[in-house]
Amino acid sequence: MPRPVTPGPADDIEDRDPGLARERTDLAWTRTAIAFAALGAAMLRTNAVAGALVMVTGAAVWGLGQLSARDFGPVGGRPRLGRRHTVQIITGATTLVSLVALLLVLLGPAQGHP
Amino acid sequence: MAGDLPRPAAHPVAGNDGKPVQPPAPADRPPGMDGGGRGEAELDARFTFANERTFLAWHRTALALIVAGLAIVQFLPPFPGVPFGRHLLAVPLIILGGGLSVASYREWTRNQRALQRGEPVGASLLPRVLAVAITLLAVAAVILSLLAPATGT
Repeated sequence: MPRPVTPGPADDIEDRDPGLARERTDLAWTRTAIAFAALGAAMLRTNAVAGALVMVTGAAVWGLGQLSARDFGPVGGRPRLGRRHTVQIITGATTLVSLVALLLVLLGPAQGHP
Repeated sequence: MAGDLPRPAAHPVAGNDGKPVQPPAPADRPPGMDGGGRGEAELDARFTFANERTFLAWHRTALALIVAGLAIVQFLPPFPGVPFGRHLLAVPLIILGGGLSVASYREWTRNQRALQRGEPVGASLLPRVLAVAITLLAVAAVILSLLAPATGT
């Protein structure tokens, strides 16, 4: 049975400064962008063009994160843009990158031979 | 156990203890609000941020799986006697990464809809799926490692 959680007294710093949630989300976007860049760097060895494109995608993800963080005004305010599109773009980018990686693994030159 | 303790009201969706958690329902929330991008202005930004961070964390996991798959083929020496051994490990990892990306989007949509309707946020199946998949791949890697020297050279 679902356990309802009722609003209680402020026992978290976020209640006093809810802007920290935005900051944590901003950092999460940055980490995701770094992950894309790292994947691009790993791809460079097999296919320079694909690797460079994925690294550019990392930069685009970082920019998207910045845009997403500014989407909200003060916490609790109304967003100017929907977040669904942002989430859809990231999902599409990751899925596309996985397909490119799959093609590189299946069709690319085998590495690591002694 | 920490997972059995009631969660503070400020973090109703921040973690996943396997139990559905009821978000606080604001009195001014319009009834019948649809999920996803529509009407999300009515939701407290903190809940949207928490859901978004979870989504991004799953995507980083997906990217890590894809990198692992690429690294296996690019940097690992071939298993002697098992010509497609590396691909046997790499391809499922990359497919799992791509699938995780789509599944995490579905989770984000489901959670967003539940939050907007004031419904309980259900437990996610993704951690279980990921744990089973990684365990199976680890077993396959061990079998390949043990098999390779015996059949090679």
